[in-house]
This record gives sequence, structure tokens and C-alpha cells, in this order.
Amino acid sequence: MSRRLLGLLRARRPRRTIYPTREGWWCLLAAVGLGFTAINSGNNLLYLLESMLLGLVIVSGVLSEQSLRRLQLSALAPDEIYAGRPAVLGVRILNAKRRIPARWIVLEIVETGRVITLPWVGPGAERMVTWEHTFPARGRRSLRGVRLRTRFPFGLFIKSGPVQLQDEVLVFPATEPLGAERPGVAPGEDATPIRRRGRGDDLHNLREYRDGDDPRLIHWRVSAKTGTTMVRELQAEAATDVRIVLRGTGARDSVTLERGLSRAASLAVHFLRAGVAVSLRGPAVNVVRGRGREQARRILTALALYTPPIGSAAPGRTESDDAPARELAVELD
Amino acid sequence: MTATRALRLTAQTLVAVGMVALWAAELVGAGAVILVIAIIVVGGWWHERARPAPVVDRVLTVAVAAFALFDVLYLAERVFDGLVRLLILLVLLRFLTARRPRDIRDAGLLTFFMLVASAAVSLGVGFSFVLVAFLVAGTGLLVLAHEVTEAERASPTTGGLGVGRGVVALSLGGAAATLVVTLALFFVIPRIGESTLALGSPTRRQVVGFSDRVELGMIGELELDATVAMRVRVDEESLAADVINGLRWRGVALDHFDGRAWTAGRRRRVPVGRGPSGALEIGGTPSPGRTVSQEFFLEPIGTDALFAAPRAVRLTLRGGFAVVDDMGAISVPVPVARLQYTVESVVAGKFPERLGAVVLRRHLQLPPLGPRIPALAREVTAGTRGPTAAAIALTSYLQRQYRYTLDLRRTTDLEPLEEFLFVRRSGNCEYFASALAVMLRSLGIPARVVTGFQLGEWNPYGEYFLVRMADAHAWVEAFIEGAGWITLDPSPRGSGAARSSWSGASLYLDALRLRWHRYIVSWSRQDQMRAAASLRQAAVGWTPWRRPGRDWEVRWALPLAAVVAGGSAWLLWRSRVPRVAVRSAPVPEFYRRALRVLARRGLRPRQDETAREFAGRVGATAPTDAVGFARVTAAYEAVRFGATTLGLDERAAVDACVGALVRRRRRLSTA
Repeated sequence: MSRRLLGLLRARRPRRTIYPTREGWWCLLAAVGLGFTAINSGNNLLYLLESMLLGLVIVSGVLSEQSLRRLQLSALAPDEIYAGRPAVLGVRILNAKRRIPARWIVLEIVETGRVITLPWVGPGAERMVTWEHTFPARGRRSLRGVRLRTRFPFGLFIKSGPVQLQDEVLVFPATEPLGAERPGVAPGEDATPIRRRGRGDDLHNLREYRDGDDPRLIHWRVSAKTGTTMVRELQAEAATDVRIVLRGTGARDSVTLERGLSRAASLAVHFLRAGVAVSLRGPAVNVVRGRGREQARRILTALALYTPPIGSAAPGRTESDDAPARELAVELD
Repeated sequence: MTATRALRLTAQTLVAVGMVALWAAELVGAGAVILVIAIIVVGGWWHERARPAPVVDRVLTVAVAAFALFDVLYLAERVFDGLVRLLILLVLLRFLTARRPRDIRDAGLLTFFMLVASAAVSLGVGFSFVLVAFLVAGTGLLVLAHEVTEAERASPTTGGLGVGRGVVALSLGGAAATLVVTLALFFVIPRIGESTLALGSPTRRQVVGFSDRVELGMIGELELDATVAMRVRVDEESLAADVINGLRWRGVALDHFDGRAWTAGRRRRVPVGRGPSGALEIGGTPSPGRTVSQEFFLEPIGTDALFAAPRAVRLTLRGGFAVVDDMGAISVPVPVARLQYTVESVVAGKFPERLGAVVLRRHLQLPPLGPRIPALAREVTAGTRGPTAAAIALTSYLQRQYRYTLDLRRTTDLEPLEEFLFVRRSGNCEYFASALAVMLRSLGIPARVVTGFQLGEWNPYGEYFLVRMADAHAWVEAFIEGAGWITLDPSPRGSGAARSSWSGASLYLDALRLRWHRYIVSWSRQDQMRAAASLRQAAVGWTPWRRPGRDWEVRWALPLAAVVAGGSAWLLWRSRVPRVAVRSAPVPEFYRRALRVLARRGLRPRQDETAREFAGRVGATAPTDAVGFARVTAAYEAVRFGATTLGLDERAAVDACVGALVRRRRRLSTA
């Protein structure tokens, strides 16, 4: 109960930091001096002026609190962030107050130290603020959040809220477009499907029915036309596979490791965009064959989180190892 | 009006308010006020236009510093005056050399110290008007300075930030809220000490008539002076006609007459001791009789005398002590700017006191007199029985047979009193009082002259007696065995109330002055304790369920009040739940226009396409428009998502780009 009460109180009175500006310091100094003089002299008009200064400070605190209250922040971050490439991050600010606008709100981005000023956010209105940020390296990276502050209304004090939206994002390895420097894997050349029978979904051929064929593969319409029972032959799924194989562990040299991971990511993105199924194999990492954006995310995530295993580790073997695929080796050492 | 211009105007207003405050405190003359206002208006305009080199500012600064030093050391009568002039010069200097908005703001805020200087020496109600004006203008200045500074910080290229209704409302609302908080704080800030460093104004006015020596005719000089001398509140019970009629505010008692002037002879003065209640006990245990409680607000009229109804027995004087002489005259050691004190006097009853031989001799002293005055006294009192009847007969004789006048020109070489009684037969109150006292003494009745004030004019708005200098008066106290000292007023002068010509508005303004003095200037620790005690009493004493005949309060009013309070609280709580319609920042017009132009060329952003991607597609499709539309897109992003506003130059460039798009579309459609 008491904890709940404390939580309620905390919600009603959010944590604030107040620091005087240069003018605020002068105001406080004048208040102290005037207070001393008023006490010493017993002059009530000096008490009145002292009260006015203190009243100004109190009203300033109340108005700034009204401006900062009930501003709801939500973070905006892209799904894919690549090392070395600018990413657009953002914050959506909603003034959830019904009548009171938020004035001269300053959004401080702790990560970069940049400040963005919002002169006016009306009651119920929303503003979106974006900025670019480049993460230098792959892996899990923390966002240090944002903080709201204001000098409103008199510029005597800076009132700040707590740092919010502290989060963690996954930064993929840097990717580069592949060109002529990657012979043998040019898109036009390697993306050509290797056509052979298999158990995939695509149609490979039609032939006459033989004993032992799966009756579900009978193509009834063609059979009716030709008068012969015809079955569908399906194309093998691994017909266009590319298997990226990481060689070495990358434990010796971090520069080579990062370069290798970047190359592997570039290859994966390149082939996946071309519609090729790609798998990844390496020490302590294995991503089974797949296509599309989800597969790209899986491979990039594995590469982003890759850490060299302790001791030498052989590339992992899985059930798909036997599937035919073009192997592209990437050296990590 | 731009915010910067409004800021300058507000700062000028503040300087004017500060100068008026100094003028109201008589620290500067009206000419100085006009001069300073003219300088800030004309000088500010000149500085804004001419933009003088920084060296001019430095020369001005050095000149001001040199003059201020010379002024404080050699010119100023008091250091305080020199400091006030230095403050004015600093404000002017800051204003005239202002190059940034913050300089203007600083110049405005410096005027706060003008108010401080004014408060140190001024106690008038005019200060309240100055304070409110300063509060409004000062709040406006702070709000405007903050707006301008933040706008500069947010976008240095943005110019011409306007002053909207929001800024005005914020300034006025902020000022009103600050005023309310100021008053609340003022009344509760504990008065933890008394004055150790006097900052009160010196007494400027020195009046005659209330000192140890009063020459005949002196008080007459005051009777044309309408200046307020004091205000007196009397407890409600004593306002009954039988008590209040004939009441006078007794000041100085004089027992020695040399034929031309009355002086306080060899009187004995003793400090008044404090009783158990903390009040100063003047007459020991109060005598049985009717007690009148009076509260005095004495203006600085330059006398050390404290005025009160006769037979004062108890005095409450904040933070000071008093001296009382053996004739019952009370005084303070040093006359100060203003005094507030309360006195309890016993106005009715018998006071069987006895006079010692020395005191008796003092009150029977007579100057060398011709035989005609004692003869007249004997003649008037012939046939009367006892001293009381004789005193009344003499008083009545003077009231009926002599005329009151302020024309006191001498026409003979006779002694003044003889000339009054036998030649001129007219005079002012001192002549009447002196004649009565001398005649009483000639009959062997101890008497003395007392100076003070008549009752004054009743102010119905403030419920107090307004006593002016014109109410200054002199009368007689005679000692009657068994009755003590009785008051006799032989002067046929009318009362102050009868001669009043003050309008209702003036009386209302004076009531305002008294409230200001009572509740602001004289607000004390005792007042705080009294207010707290009455609040506590009111809270504790509010027990309607115990009062007979108030059953309805218990049965209906209290539950109803609880329901209303609960409902209000619930509504208040409910109103805090956000019921907001989320609105996004609008798309700026220039971007909408660019999109319309491109749409006519078949280029529309897809739903899944960001503005930047669309710009890239436009660039790929129409390379000639790539740069222009990219700039428009960048401006759009900055305005819509970057929370910035475009500067004039940026806006012009964006408009030029949109214009180029329009022209190209026209050329294409023509072709």
C-alpha cells in the first residue's frame, strides 16, 4: 500500500532538477541581500519587495512545471541501423494536457549533446523531432536518451525532467555495394538459378506417372487433356543457394574481423536483394538457408552479435550442409 | 510590434516607474524624472539608429564612473543620495549602451534597486501603486526577454518574433499570480527581529507647539495647515457619544508661564516600566472608571510627544520605550518617521490624588501681572462656591465674552495676556488657555496648559478619526481636590469635524492610506501572532454541531458540502485524464504547393515513400529539378520535424525553388 502510495506520489510529482541561470543567480542573490536588509531594518516595504522576489521565484516554478507536465515522449528508431551509416532517430512529443500549452520546451539529446527547441506545443498536439546519428561500430549499442528542460517563463531557472527513452539498439555491420572487385559473384552471373529436380515449391517439369510417385503430384488438368496421367516435377529449393562461410575466428585482429564481417554482411544483403537464398556458417554461428528481409535480419543480427569464440572452432554443421549451394568464403583472420 | 521593440518599450516603462518611485520618496525632483525619461527615449532611439562605435560606450562608462566617485565623495549631502544618483546613471548607461536584448533586460531589472532605495525612505501608499506597476512591467520584461532569447537560441537567423496575445496574457497572468503570492508571503514571513540599522526616513517636518516651550500664538500658525497629523482608532464601545464627545488627544503639559510663553518647568521624567503583559504601564494600576482604548498612527510631525486621551494608563509601543513626566505627558527619546502605538486611558471616574508642596507651587506659579487680571478672575467667580464652580464660571465667561480669531496682531504695548483680556478681546486657543490658567492660579487653583489635538474628523470608510495639523489645540487642566485634574477648554473654537471640507473620495483615499500603513508598513510579529491566534480560535470555535438551533447544518449542510467537495475532487481528477485529439504538425504551404506542381507532371509521392526518397525519385526523373526540390524537401523536413522556423533568406530561397518548379511545368505544358 505504502509502495503504491509512493508510486502515485512520484507520478504526481515527477523528479525535476532545477538550476538557476545567470539571471536566476542574481535574483537569488538580490533576495538574500534584501532579506538580510529587511530583517535588519524591520522595514516592511523591504519585506514586501523580498516577498515579491520570492513570489516571482515561486510563480516561475509553478508555470515551468505546468509547461513540462504531461509531455509524453515516444522513441522513433529505424528497424535497421548499419555501422558507419547515418541513422535517423527521433522522438514524438505529445502534450497530453487539455488546456495548457507547453512553451519553449528544449529537447536535449544526451547522445549528441544537441538541443532542439520547441517554441509551442499546443494542448493535445504532437510534434516529431528527428536527428541523424552515426554509430561507429556494430553490436548492441545503448541510446543515452533524451531530456526535456525549459527556462520558461522568466528565464530565471532551468527546470529539467529525468532522462527518458534510454534504450538499446542493434547495429548491423557496415555494408558496402559489391561491384567488380568481387569476381564470380556478380549478380547477373551468380543469381542464375541452378535448375534441378527437388522437393521445392516451384514447377520444374511434367512427366508421365510412374509407380511410386506421390498421387498428390498428379496434374489433373494436363492429364485430362493428354489422356495420360502426368505428374509435376518440382524444382529443388537449393537451386539458387549461396552459403557464406566464415573462415577463421577473427580473434587475432579486430580490424580484419570487422572487415570480414562487413564483407559477409555486404554479400548477404547483395544476394538476398537479388532473391537468392542465403545461409551463413561460421565458428559459433549458423543461420540456415532462407530468403527475403527476415533472412537478411537473421544473418545481419548474427553478424552484429558475433564474438570470436574462445579457442579454435570449426564451422558448424547442420542438416542443410549437404544441400547444394555456392560457397563464398570470407576470411576473418 | 516585434518582441525586441516591445522589450525596449517595457524596459523604458520600468525605468519610468523606478524614477517615479524615487520621486515619490523625494529622492529626486520631478525635473530629474522627466530628464531621465527623455534620455532613455531619445538616447535609445539614437543608439538604435546610429549604432555608435564601442569606444563611445567605453567613454560613457568611464565618465559615469568618474562622476559617481566625485559625487559620492564631494557633491552628495549623504552617501545614500550619491548612491541613488549612481544607480540612475548605471541604468541610463546600461540602456544607452545596450547592443543585445539581454542588455536591455538588465537595464530594466536594475530599476528594481530604485524601488529598494525608495522603500528605504518612503512609507506612503503611493508605493503600492508603484509596486503594482513595477510588477506588471517587470513580469512583462522577463517574459519578453525570455521569448527573445529563446528564439535567438533556437534559430539565430529568425528575425522579427512578434508579440502575440499569449505573451501579453502570460505577462499579466504572471504578474497577478506573483502579486497574490507576494501578499501571502508578506503576511507570513516571520518578523524575527527588530531594527538594528535604521533605514527610516529622517523627520523632515518640524512643527511648533508640541515642545517644551510654546509661545503665545504658535499653535495658531498650525490652524491653517490641512496636513494629516495622525489617525486614531477608538474601540467600538467608546464610540458612544457620551464618551467620545469632548475627547482630546493630549500631548505636552506646560506648567511655567513667563507672560509670553509656556514652558515645562522642573518636571521629573521617568522611563515607563513594562508590565507583565509587555505593555508599558504608565499610571500603575488602572483607576476604576471607563477605559478607552485608542490606536494611533502618528505621522512624522517632528515631535517626540505621544498623544493620547487624558489619564493614559497603559501604552503599547512596538520595539521601543517611552518616558513619562510628572504631568502625565508621554514622549519617546527620539522622534522617528512614523509611530504606531496603542494607549488605554481612563476617561471617567474620580481620582482622589494629592499634590505635593513642590508640585503645588509649580502649578500656582504666576508671572508678574498687573492687578487687572486677578481682579477680573475674582469678579467673574464672585458668588461661586468651591473651586470647581469657579473654574467652570471662568471657562464659561471666556467662551461667551471673547471671540476666537487667528488674527493675532498686537496693537498695544501691554503684556499679551492683558491685551487679550482687556483690549483685543479675541485670540486663539493659547490665549484662551493661558488666560484661564492664569486666572485660576490667581484664585489659588492649580492649573496648567496642555497642547495637543482636537478629536478630528470621523472617517466612515476607515472608521477612525482623521486628525490634521489644523486640529492642534491648547486647553487647561485644573486640579480640583477630590476630583483630580479636570479638563477645561475655554476656547470657543469649533471642532475639526465641523470645519471639514474633505470630499468622500479624499476620505476614502485616506482610509486606503491607513490600511496601507496598518497592514503593510506596520505589520509586525505581534500582528502575525494575533492573526494566527484568531485563525486558530476560528477553527477551533467552529463547532456548529454544538450550537443550539443549528441542527440543519449537521443534518444537511455538512453532508451536502462533503458531497460537493467529493464531486469536485472527482471532476478535477477526471479532467486530468487526457482526452486529447492527436494532431500532427501541419505540412508547410510551400511543400504542399511544390507537391501540387509535381503532381501535375505525374510525380506523386507513394504512400510508403519518405519525403527524401521522393526527392530522390524526382531527381532521377527530372534532373533539372533535382537541386531545387531537394532544397524544398530539406526545408520541409526542418520545419515539420525539426521544430524550426525558416529565416527570411531561407524562406525566399525556398519560394524561389518552388517558383522555378512552377515555371518549368508551364514551359512543359506549353511545349
